Amino acid sequence: MTRRFEERDTPIAPSTDDGVVVTVSSLTKRFGEIVAVDDLTFSLRRGTVTGFLGPNGAGKTTTLRLLLGLAEPTTGEALVFGRRYRDLDQPAHRVGAVLESTDFHPGRSGRDHLRALALAAMIPPARVEEVLELVELATAAERRVKTYSLGMRQRLGLATALLGDPELLILDEPANGLDPAGVHWLRRFLRRFAEQGRTVLVSSHMLAEAAQTVDDVVIIDRGRLMTTGQLDELTKDGRTLEDVFLALTGAAT
Amino acid sequence: MALLRSELLKQRSTRTLLGLFAAMLGLVLSAVLLHSLLPAEQLSDRHTQLMVLGRGEFLGALFAALLGAMSITAEIRHGTIRPTFLFSPRRDRVVAAKVSVSVVIGAGFGLVAGAAAVAGGTAALRARGIELQLDGRDYVLLVTGSAAAAALWAAIGVGVGALVRHQVPTLVGICAWLLFVEGLLAGDLVGLGGVGRFLPGSAAAAISGQDPGTLLAPAAGLALLAAYAAVAALAGALATSRRDVA
Repeated sequence: MTRRFEERDTPIAPSTDDGVVVTVSSLTKRFGEIVAVDDLTFSLRRGTVTGFLGPNGAGKTTTLRLLLGLAEPTTGEALVFGRRYRDLDQPAHRVGAVLESTDFHPGRSGRDHLRALALAAMIPPARVEEVLELVELATAAERRVKTYSLGMRQRLGLATALLGDPELLILDEPANGLDPAGVHWLRRFLRRFAEQGRTVLVSSHMLAEAAQTVDDVVIIDRGRLMTTGQLDELTKDGRTLEDVFLALTGAAT
Repeated sequence: MALLRSELLKQRSTRTLLGLFAAMLGLVLSAVLLHSLLPAEQLSDRHTQLMVLGRGEFLGALFAALLGAMSITAEIRHGTIRPTFLFSPRRDRVVAAKVSVSVVIGAGFGLVAGAAAVAGGTAALRARGIELQLDGRDYVLLVTGSAAAAALWAAIGVGVGALVRHQVPTLVGICAWLLFVEGLLAGDLVGLGGVGRFLPGSAAAAISGQDPGTLLAPAAGLALLAAYAAVAALAGALATSRRDVA
């Protein structure tokens, strides 16, 4: 199944020259008294897989929502390809994202879910069939999503993100509900995606899995940046990603 | 155009629409048939006949409002609003597409409801040997007025759904308004009296030519309901553009 993708897709040419895919600068989001994201600054390098790590409630999902234009920052900015998400010409063709693995109407088939979104972004119907093949859901495409397992929903979410053949993939906890073979498949997929010169931002709780997949990490806690950099640099003194994470997020007691 | 096709597919690809349609048709026929059991002397009155045959307009508008509201509240409830806005970040255009598609489908609902009420009602009255006091203009108004009222109430439904966002309060609110609240406000209890005919449910009834003594003329009802629909749709689009998406 993956071979088809490898044959079809050629490495993409960088569409902006500075290599900056995502720029988050002094990003802050308040909900009343609560500061969900606090003066957060980081950027993503093209052609890398970046792990976006933090404890529950650290502000990861809020940051991703701000980056994708679903919420407005209180102050600061979050840019993709140098622009706000909603100012991109054809955002689905530049950025693919999955925020929740449950974002489907249970009574709609997987294929119709993808077709409705493809119509909105003027993506040809053939691409719907391609992504269904790619995530190995072609035989289940006519079934209503309520009959899908969690792993199948995760794959349908990934198919949704890939519809527009994007340069940047943003995934929130994509490995939840995947079996070991699914996790392995996802890891290979994300690595290959980055090797084509594309970029991945993936939030995760699963540090051991993240350590095998990512090039760079952004670690946040209580809305604040704890550290960001290349995984090799952070762990060169022999510590594991888990050691680094627990030391930074104050969870090691 | 792309967004219209997308919204149309969303409406067609679940069983919600068919379920609403079947429930509406069943209720229209039951309401008309139950009303046709009224005493014969009461049913001989033109005013009562318009009221009975006008059940199509009422239920058509109600179900059109529900389908319009669900076009957005179901997306919020199931989270599909997130991919929808990721694929189309201009949220006002998404709401506009939902309004357009819901207005067209709502008109269809109203047309069927109006025609079913007229057909079922006349058949039931004739079967009882009651002479119909209605002319061709009345029948045309009952059916086309029902279509127009439902189309505009579908737009109101989208607007209310976009403002309220939660599905259950939205649907309960729409039902409560049309079934009870407006009647109470317009009735003797609250005593809005003459102002009651300017409420949106009464405006919808006016379009199909019901209760000409109390309600507005059909054209005035149409204009007033169109204004309500425009305000609701604009408010919904504006709120959706400005507020964060959960």
